[in-house]
Amino acid sequence: MSSPRILVVGGGPAGLSAACDLAEAGANVVLVEEEGFLGGTPKKLHYSLIAPDLKPVQEVLDPLVRRVEQSGVEVMLNSEVASFKGSGDGFHVEVRRKGGPLESHVFDSVIAATGFAHWDPHKKYEYGYGVYPDVLDFKDFERMLSEDNLRRPSNGETPKRIAWLLCVGSRDKQVGKFYCCRMGCVVSIKQAMEVRQKHPEIDTYVYYMDIRTYGFWEDKVYWRSMEEFNVKFVRGRIGSINRGEDGRLVAMAEDTILQRPTEVPFDMLVLATGMEASRGTVEFAKLAGLELEEHGFIKPLQSDSLPVHTTVEGIFVAGTATGPKAIPDSVSEGSAAAMKALNFARRKAVAERQQTR
Amino acid sequence: MVVEALSVLRNLPARKKEEQAEPSILLGGSRDLGLDTLKLAQDIYDQFTADPRYKEYVLGCLNCGECTTGCPAARFYDFSPREMLQVAMSNDPLVLLNAMHEKIWACCQCYTCNMRCRFGNDIAGIISVMRELAVKNGLDSAKEVLRPYTRILLKVMTGGTQVSPDMIQPDFFVDWGPDAVSKASDLKTLRKAIPIDVLQVTDSAWEVSMQTSLELFQIYQESGVIDIVRAVDPDLVEMITDIVDEWREEFEEMKEKYGVR
Repeated sequence: MSSPRILVVGGGPAGLSAACDLAEAGANVVLVEEEGFLGGTPKKLHYSLIAPDLKPVQEVLDPLVRRVEQSGVEVMLNSEVASFKGSGDGFHVEVRRKGGPLESHVFDSVIAATGFAHWDPHKKYEYGYGVYPDVLDFKDFERMLSEDNLRRPSNGETPKRIAWLLCVGSRDKQVGKFYCCRMGCVVSIKQAMEVRQKHPEIDTYVYYMDIRTYGFWEDKVYWRSMEEFNVKFVRGRIGSINRGEDGRLVAMAEDTILQRPTEVPFDMLVLATGMEASRGTVEFAKLAGLELEEHGFIKPLQSDSLPVHTTVEGIFVAGTATGPKAIPDSVSEGSAAAMKALNFARRKAVAERQQTR
Repeated sequence: MVVEALSVLRNLPARKKEEQAEPSILLGGSRDLGLDTLKLAQDIYDQFTADPRYKEYVLGCLNCGECTTGCPAARFYDFSPREMLQVAMSNDPLVLLNAMHEKIWACCQCYTCNMRCRFGNDIAGIISVMRELAVKNGLDSAKEVLRPYTRILLKVMTGGTQVSPDMIQPDFFVDWGPDAVSKASDLKTLRKAIPIDVLQVTDSAWEVSMQTSLELFQIYQESGVIDIVRAVDPDLVEMITDIVDEWREEFEEMKEKYGVR
């Protein structure tokens, strides 16, 4: 009995976890990644520390990458799935390496780990992203932190006061993003802790309408940020950003506990940009005929009991392709999808053997 | 008195449907509000929630405060659109009545709150529904707020839908600066300087025929507008009726004279 051939699309936390589990279980795995490196969005956007243990992203993801490289997975970087056809004997897939010819493969099962993208905050013009250089989003600020280069883009000075605004491009009917991004709270608070750890002289304020640091993040991140790092929380959202006289940003917000509108100057504002399905997720779903759910992510066959099955038999899904998720959740889903994909391929092989007998 | 006593209720959570008829302040036993107030509050509350716009405008609230952030009235008055939405959602007739006495009149209906609201509520819209009810039910606050507009209503309801230059006078607009006052002092000359045909008079914007005025009045009467205005300003209605009656007589005489039926 030959080893099952399985395709993993996407080399982020979920795809890496699926690929190395499959390879270790004896499958022939091809991992297709559109970027020139493994690690997915956390690596691409230069994330800094990862909550709740505040570990650098390399420490979290590099062991996974190493396992993939050592376990005999065929990694195809700078590659995209160009065509996709399912038939009785498997999935016929053509992969194009950037600038290269098409390569044809046949797979017994497929895992989509095509991931998410950060929402573009330009669309919420009242927050001034793209207008005021000191208004940043998650990807800008994570990069700044990981490069240890905390300066105001406008004048290169170290900021004295930084504000975070949660739920930008999530929980907002106006921009069509009705769902919670799950990560905005914890990442913002983590960033504030990181700032306070390196620069205790900087004041940090988080503007929120709800803090959703679910599970253990409550005490390990939210409470700790107040107890150990003196991060301040303001219950109310910034509605608009104006330029102050001295070139600072003026955040207009209602403090809903004091029940009055406020205007507070800041040197920097970080927008907690939400998650949406990545271009790769939408395009792969279209190629493979996968249904999308109402928020634009890939629809699981049953969101409660079959979370890694898709609406197409033999194609499985893991990670943020089905909705906002943290790195550990993506890693576990990768393993879960690996198990399902392997079982599907094995059952198929058994059925084929019985037919030919 | 009632107003002050009730302001503490503002942030109480919504109660269950069955309890609605019994306002929380009575449950607390702290004060007897009098049956009239309770009945009025309940009446207005019933009209409010039965209005088809209520379901459409009030969806829910995350209490994020973005509406209040952009609100020009909130910067100057003890007013917040978020609070008004909470009032609309409060299920408490007395809380609603309390807000209708004063707070709803601070809104300038700029609809910035609607533009900002991430939940899709029509906050300025629900405030205008509350205002309508304040007028319909003849609340004192509505009478007081609409007093400066008597002159405008008189003009509009007798002379067709028009605002004439002489209605805009410094006495009614206490917030005018000296510049605006001096500019308004010689309206006649200013009016004559306008090159387009505006009749170049100050007491009318355009001429409305007597027949149109009479037909308009009939529309106001049959659509209930007159009743609404009567609730807040009976004197004004009397004045308008007198003018229109006079016109009607004149109109009938004209018809007779020229043999029109």
